[in-house]
Amino acid sequence: MTAASAVASQQDPFILRVENLTKRYGPVLALNDVSLGIRRGTIHGLLGENGAGKSTLVSLISGQRTPTSGTIFLDGRAIASVDIKAMEEAGVFLVTQEPMIVDHLTAAENLMLGIWPSSGGFVRWSKLRADAARMLEGTGIDPQAMAGRLDAVARRKLNILRAMFSGGKIIILDEPTAALTVEDRAQLFSFMRDLKAQGVTFIFISHYNDEILEICDACSVLRDGVLAGGTENVKGLTSEQLSELVLGRGLVLFQRERRQFDTEPAAVSLRSVVSAGVRVEALDLHAGEIVGFTGLPGAGAKELVRAVFGLVPVRSGTIAFADEAPHKLPASPRDAFDAGIAFLSDDRHRDGLVKHMTISENISLSSLVSLARSGFLSNDAERNLSDRYFEAMGIKAPGPSTTVDTLSGGNQQKVCLGRVLATKPRLLILDEPTRGIDVGVKQDVLRIIDDLSRSGVAVIIVSTDTDEIVRSVDRVCIFDGGAVREELSGAAITNERLRQGTTSHG
Amino acid sequence: MNQVASALAAPAAKTPGKEGTSVLGWVLHNVVWIWLVALVVIFGLFNQYFFTTFNLQNIMVQATVLGMIGLAVALPLLVAEIDLSLPANLGFSSAIGAMAYSNLGLPWFLAMLVGVGVATLIGFFNGLCITKLRMVSLIQTLSMMIILQGALLALTQGRTITNLPDGYVWIGQAAIGGWPVMPIIFVVALVAMAVMLRKTVLGRSIYAVGGNPVASNSAGIRVDRVKIITFTIAGFLAGVGGFLLGSWQMAITSNQGSSYLLYAIAAPIIGGVSVFGGRGNVVGVLGGVLLLTVIQVGLAIIAVPSFYVGMIGGFMIFIAVAIDAIRVRYFG
Ligand SMILES: Nc1ncnc2c1ncn2[C@@H]1O[C@H](COP(=O)(O)OP(=O)(O)OP(=O)(O)O)[C@@H](O)[C@H]1O
Ligand SMILES: [Mg+2]
Repeated sequence: MTAASAVASQQDPFILRVENLTKRYGPVLALNDVSLGIRRGTIHGLLGENGAGKSTLVSLISGQRTPTSGTIFLDGRAIASVDIKAMEEAGVFLVTQEPMIVDHLTAAENLMLGIWPSSGGFVRWSKLRADAARMLEGTGIDPQAMAGRLDAVARRKLNILRAMFSGGKIIILDEPTAALTVEDRAQLFSFMRDLKAQGVTFIFISHYNDEILEICDACSVLRDGVLAGGTENVKGLTSEQLSELVLGRGLVLFQRERRQFDTEPAAVSLRSVVSAGVRVEALDLHAGEIVGFTGLPGAGAKELVRAVFGLVPVRSGTIAFADEAPHKLPASPRDAFDAGIAFLSDDRHRDGLVKHMTISENISLSSLVSLARSGFLSNDAERNLSDRYFEAMGIKAPGPSTTVDTLSGGNQQKVCLGRVLATKPRLLILDEPTRGIDVGVKQDVLRIIDDLSRSGVAVIIVSTDTDEIVRSVDRVCIFDGGAVREELSGAAITNERLRQGTTSHG
Repeated sequence: MNQVASALAAPAAKTPGKEGTSVLGWVLHNVVWIWLVALVVIFGLFNQYFFTTFNLQNIMVQATVLGMIGLAVALPLLVAEIDLSLPANLGFSSAIGAMAYSNLGLPWFLAMLVGVGVATLIGFFNGLCITKLRMVSLIQTLSMMIILQGALLALTQGRTITNLPDGYVWIGQAAIGGWPVMPIIFVVALVAMAVMLRKTVLGRSIYAVGGNPVASNSAGIRVDRVKIITFTIAGFLAGVGGFLLGSWQMAITSNQGSSYLLYAIAAPIIGGVSVFGGRGNVVGVLGGVLLLTVIQVGLAIIAVPSFYVGMIGGFMIFIAVAIDAIRVRYFG
């Protein structure tokens, strides 16, 4: 460190500062003249609606992308040319919104990607394995497992752990908690507090107000690429004030009017479903009912819905609609769609979207057959369909013909959701439906699902977000050991009750 | 032909949201056509003969067989696979067709259909191996290529088949008002494939499977079936190409088709069909085919010694792949 920069770092209370930062993608102004500072040793929240520019901002800070104009200061020094490697060496680590995983490497190797312990150019494998094993302790992830076979949450954890153990000075987490369980989240937060005590600075992006209030010291809000506000003292705010800061208007939280379906005939009956990690004797759903599935990872909720949709092989199991005769569970997603079952995956990156196709092409992807006459697609029918869901989902983009990979994470999620809803199913299964969607649009999505249920669709929502479940369902099934351990309905569905049900000691 | 090209190019250029906004983006997206025009002018300046009607007809005929095989190769590429056996399939199946005439005494038309049918079956079989047996297409089709080349040699015993009936060779020789008829088949195939890719459920499914097979499966597309169909259609196109080549040359040699391998793969890639799948269109393939044909014919006309022709062809492929990489990197 030179004398000049040592002086600078003493004077500058901001470990990181950006000035007049602008990022333009062709006609889209993703970030417009943003200036802000992050104080040393704080956790700084970054908030904003979907497409506000949060991921863009941190991608510039971490050197993933180059700004159109503007300057980034680290320790008071302007960084001339930022690239990822240089920034990691300077101690800036980014955990991106989408998992960055090399599928055919092991979990251990992914953890150490680019930061391999080495001597004389050779990777020190024994140290790598020992370090990785230590880092993965208590996470339930096998260090030797192929990363490609891990589920979305585990893949995410690998990215987070890599940054946490990197020894970096500034760690940026872009929506790290999406789809994490209550317990994982608590663990992450205590980890962050420990590192903060050691002087590490964090930038923390999240759509959950309670998380921002719990962990952040200061926060900044982006709206349409512009810095719209912020506070040096987050603790002084309420959740409502935070929402208002983000949206620029008050927020009315959605709450479904719960109904009891006990006396009605079943619309969907699952019987003796057995597959890897699942052993469900009987489960009935009713027309118009919304059922929430929760449980710890591996408890069987996610495994069951994937089996019902034909994504994983099943050993046995039948499904019956209303008074039709029971059928074998579908053998493939195509069969599932044909039977009237639609499914939204919790991993849009891997099995939700064809990223270089347009929004419109993605929305219609599961409905192609119904949009065609003797194999030929009808342009009009397709445009009608995609326009309708483009509107309904409130997708923020120049138009339905925008390619999906230029959309922000939350807007990509809306596209996925649109594709699934467009199939007009009898049984709708949504795995983490509002993952990455901002507070405002989340209410719209819950309302759309609520409306759909009124038309007689049976809905399953799998979610680790207890608040979302409380607001949107009639009944909750808590999974454990591959089966439904407990059912809650009516007034028994509360946040506290659900939290208990989804921790290992519950 | 140029009219057809522009008629086909028009709707492609209109595809919204896909064109780059900068000048560089536009150049990279249209580099094949820009290159093509430039080369035509350059070759014309070197040798006036290049601009004669006769030479234009020559280019059209030459482009036909390469075009058929180029379209065929493009299909597996679109679903992020590859079929290296197509040129060998072209040669082998045409020999089968010829022998069905000479040895079984079938009428030429039926014999030709037998050849095309065999080619289609081989494509279908490749598709089965790659999907149901999960074989890697690069290696599976490489071995199929060697098998078919060997089988052709065995069938012909190293001799060239020349006793082709008049009916069989008609399409390769016929001309109306001096203009060859054979390119019409290519144009028909081109238009049919453009319609299939742009307007049908199958076409959309092909792009989706090439773009993200896992997501396509979850979205309810039968990924294996789509792949098998693309390999099958590719086999069919190679079969027709084999018939046209035999008809045009009035002969089937013991290594018929093999010389097309490199150019058949280069043409679609130069035309913007991504080797990573999911990207590319028929107009691009046409551009790649015309470009390679013009280079071949042009180099011959300006009398570049044959020792250099191969090297220059190789450079062309290298540059094309590099441009593809740059385009994907900066303009998606
Ligand atoms: N490569 C790109 N090309 C064109 N536009 C882009 C590109 N990447 C991002 N954008 C646009 O920039 C804007 C900001 O996107 P960004 O990903 O930063 O949003 P975000 O605040 O992270 O939203 P989310 O909460 O949904 O993750 C969006 O409107 C997006 O469409
Ligand atoms: Mg984002």
